[in-house]
Amino acid sequence: METRNVGPVLELNKAIPSFEESGLPPVPFSMRLMPGECAVVEARDASRATIFADLCSGLVPLNDGAVKFMGLDWTELHDREVNALRGRIGRITRRPSWTDFLGTHMGIMLQQLHHTTRDVNDVVAEASRLSEQFGLPGLPVLRPAMLSDADLLRASCVRAFMGRPHLLLLEDPLEASPADLEDAFLSAITTARDKGAGIIWLVRSNAVGQRYWQGVTSRWRLADDGLVAVRMG
Amino acid sequence: MSETNTNQREPGSDRDPILEAENHQQAQRAPLSLKVRILRRLAWLGRLTRHQLWFFLIMMGACWGVIFESFRAHSWRRTVRYEFGVTLNSVIGGGLIATLFAGTLTGVAAVSQTIYWLGFAGLAKMTGSILVNVVVREIAPILVGILLLGRNGMLSVTELGLLTTGGQIRSFQAQGLDPFLLLVMPRTLAFTVGGFTLGILFSFAALLTGYIISRISGVITNPVWTFFYDVVTAMSGADYIIIPLKFIVVGFVVGVGGCLTGLTATNEDNLRTLLPRGFSRGMLIVMAVSVLFSLDF
Repeated sequence: METRNVGPVLELNKAIPSFEESGLPPVPFSMRLMPGECAVVEARDASRATIFADLCSGLVPLNDGAVKFMGLDWTELHDREVNALRGRIGRITRRPSWTDFLGTHMGIMLQQLHHTTRDVNDVVAEASRLSEQFGLPGLPVLRPAMLSDADLLRASCVRAFMGRPHLLLLEDPLEASPADLEDAFLSAITTARDKGAGIIWLVRSNAVGQRYWQGVTSRWRLADDGLVAVRMG
Repeated sequence: MSETNTNQREPGSDRDPILEAENHQQAQRAPLSLKVRILRRLAWLGRLTRHQLWFFLIMMGACWGVIFESFRAHSWRRTVRYEFGVTLNSVIGGGLIATLFAGTLTGVAAVSQTIYWLGFAGLAKMTGSILVNVVVREIAPILVGILLLGRNGMLSVTELGLLTTGGQIRSFQAQGLDPFLLLVMPRTLAFTVGGFTLGILFSFAALLTGYIISRISGVITNPVWTFFYDVVTAMSGADYIIIPLKFIVVGFVVGVGGCLTGLTATNEDNLRTLLPRGFSRGMLIVMAVSVLFSLDF
């Protein structure tokens, strides 16, 4: 599988999602995200934001158009290639994503352990470092059900920034987060962008994360008529 | 209703203008050719059959998928190996005591009684062959299958069912984690190994307990080695293949059935619908395997 390291990391080219499968309006979605860019997408409806992130991950069938990640069209790839590519996407989602039969630590490291051949000690060390960065006392080993919502949110951030993701789909973790998470989150975003990751930050309202708005490269609104560019400044 | 619409049909009239128009259109249509009618009937029959057999068909596909993927080295990533190890530990480690206990009870209830009554009827020479054919070949796979189903199969149904309805499976997919590769394949193979291991242990426990009870009650006086030698020599060459194969297949299908019942749960499902469905399917699967092996061999 030849991935492209130059050009857009994510490209929605008049992609019309299937309404029956997604609930998104069947209108063309167009967007281009270059490495290191950060696009803020305002979506009032949280479930619609999740589906939009699914669309970017190639999980939503299309009626027309194309969604390309690292230059590869999701629909033209085999299952193994699709899964390998998704392994390069870090994601914070509002959809339930923790499983009780795996400890939180396994949930955090699962993607890295599955898609890479990195040494386990390296993965554990990175997970521990990020856990501390996001305000956890260390890598959480309890079952997810035993963690508070705030700690699960921190663990979600750790999981999303693990490894070296090429794309980050972040359904706004700052909305109901502890105040101390904001600095760590913004710092992690900056570091990821410096390493070439493209970021789509889905927010419910523009009031969230305003401190970072100067660093945002484009702003969009997810509306009934599709993805609408919002004028900056 | 608008005034125009009410004027289209006179009160008390039997004529319905919409129905009448439809009938008129149908009458104007060209009669279907025989070929089209046959094709439509076949399509209807196919839909009906698929609807009734869809789980069976999914299961056949999944069985092939598990076998196919398990021979690919690339499938055995460390997360898959981890899941295999955890499930194997749960199936064998968790089910060991229950299996040995069930084997002991079977030994008391079935083996010792068989030895006693065969001795009483003067057919002590048939003890070995009857124990092999009844206890090891027929009873053991069914009881081990039921134990596997009850202990671990239902757990898989519940876990995967809740993951599916809760959306976690979708989240796995978003991370590039294929649920079939990560959950179904390792669990099914762990059930397979577990089925064989527990089946052999069950058989051994049943025979040993039966021997001990018979020895204590004075029905037999042979040493234990002679008793087991009689059992082993009563086995035909085919038994050495069929008995392990039956344990393996029972474990395999219970694993696949449990995982698939969980993964095919819909948003309308909950524990009240999932658990009975999983149990009844599992029981059917265990019985079907047992019957199929009895028919064919």
